[in-house]
Amino acid sequence: MLGGIQDREADRMIGSNGREIYRVVWPRGAGTVKAADVAPRLSTLEGKTIGQLWDDLFRGDEIFPILEEELGRRFPSVRFVRYDTFGSTHGRDEQRVLAELPARLKELNVDAVISGMAC
Amino acid sequence: MPTASLVCEGFRGQAATTATGLGLPGLPTALVPGHVDVQSADELRQNVAAVTVDAVIRNLTEAPARVGAAVVEPAPGDVVFEGTLDEVNRFFYENDWSDGLPIVPPTPDRVAEFLRFCDRPGETSLGVLLPDRRHATIWNVAVNGVMAGCRPEYMPILVALVEAMADPRYGVEHSGNTPGAETLIILNGPLIKELGFNYEQGALRDGVQANTTIGRFWRLYLRNVAGFLHHRTDKGTFGNTWRVVLAENEDALRRIGWSTIAEDEGVLAGNAVTISRYTGGGVIASVFGSTPQRMLPYLADAIVTKVGWELLFTVGMGVGSQRPLLILSPILAETLAKGGLDKAQLKERLFALARVPAAKLERYVGEWTNLVPGRPTLTGLVKAGQIPAVFAESDDPERLVPIVCRAEDLMIAVSGDPLRTNAYAFAHNGILGYPTTKPIRLPAEWPRLLREARAR
Repeated sequence: MLGGIQDREADRMIGSNGREIYRVVWPRGAGTVKAADVAPRLSTLEGKTIGQLWDDLFRGDEIFPILEEELGRRFPSVRFVRYDTFGSTHGRDEQRVLAELPARLKELNVDAVISGMAC
Repeated sequence: MPTASLVCEGFRGQAATTATGLGLPGLPTALVPGHVDVQSADELRQNVAAVTVDAVIRNLTEAPARVGAAVVEPAPGDVVFEGTLDEVNRFFYENDWSDGLPIVPPTPDRVAEFLRFCDRPGETSLGVLLPDRRHATIWNVAVNGVMAGCRPEYMPILVALVEAMADPRYGVEHSGNTPGAETLIILNGPLIKELGFNYEQGALRDGVQANTTIGRFWRLYLRNVAGFLHHRTDKGTFGNTWRVVLAENEDALRRIGWSTIAEDEGVLAGNAVTISRYTGGGVIASVFGSTPQRMLPYLADAIVTKVGWELLFTVGMGVGSQRPLLILSPILAETLAKGGLDKAQLKERLFALARVPAAKLERYVGEWTNLVPGRPTLTGLVKAGQIPAVFAESDDPERLVPIVCRAEDLMIAVSGDPLRTNAYAFAHNGILGYPTTKPIRLPAEWPRLLREARAR
């Protein structure tokens, strides 16, 4: 049990220079997450459906259309599900939006996601 | 599912550390050069087309490089170092476990002293904190309390603070956001006097052990357990130093029959902490007048002038979550009460007076900051049912509209020099640090433990 067994004499010692020596404990907390590999990537974007997720900040409403245009030029059969289909990933409704996301992505047959904006 | 995360240049470090905290250290990101807000439409298009598009394609179609094995960390309770006071301080600083001020070495015996003031075992989890997703426990509360220079008898307050920090309503994960807001802790209850908190002159100044060290504890805990670190997960552009604990003057409150902050927030009796993040604030000097009619226009104006872009949390992404705080000195509160106002009435009067032209509010959250997409008008938001009707009582762009959605969103505390006519107003950070109140649980043997602590 943490804190249940103490060797108080051992916590304080005097070093060879006459100064007190302190035995000190780790100030952090145990991590709860095990590192995982990211999902397998797609072989091509051709014929795939890409979902857009936006936090309603930093010009995503200008950037996603540019991405659509440029990706569409290189992969003519790529399809997009617009960010407003999912709702903002940041703000008052973010917990609900994020909780609903896995089901919504599945329901809309989304193959990959572009998420922004971290700025 | 394959993802590409769009990350501006200044956020690449935070993206990497946050991804690690989420358990996906190899999560690929797509760079958006510079900061988009200072680029012309042509520059933005050029940058996205030239850099971001290729990165998105790579993110979605190429397996990212494997990340090396995770570092093996100590277990809670492990002794991680032995050394002199100077050596311990250097070791903690070099490991990012200290704020740069000297710490009190967290030896097992000092930690055990803190644990005596809590009835729950050290390993009790108080929640998991983002961004590092580490367990907040009674044990690491005690360790960081020791480091901050707290006294063991502060432990019940420290535990309640971490319970508040872990409450999803507060939103600790936003603590590294770029405006760099800082938390203010407000304390209510008999502990104010029992533990010697300052609630009079200099109430927000360091120099009193209880107020000061608990304020320091807050930020050490954000660093060591939540995981907010400079240049990594903390993106505060300027930031602030941690704030000392604000203790209310409950004698003054009782004399005028006003409720405490904790009571306003739903904790009706006993000791309680309230946490909330504020972007900034300032003093309102020399409030003149012997009646509410004379005093309120100045106080209302002061609240308005402290709240600018934060109106985003009134009508933007955090609708209805702007909670400005007004701290009145006791003599100001007593004068307002003598003029016939209870706290609810005072909030209603300030709600009516603290107003800003509609066009200016729209500029704050639209034209000047681009923080609300599509730059909707207040009238449009009211028509869409997103904000209260009070924001569109006419189409006049110069009509005055409130800075909060409801009178009760205003928070009013009483503290500071009892005989000075100054007040203080804080602008609030909305959903990114929403006011959260928790009761403080005292151990069963509190009276005896406190007697012993005082005798030391």
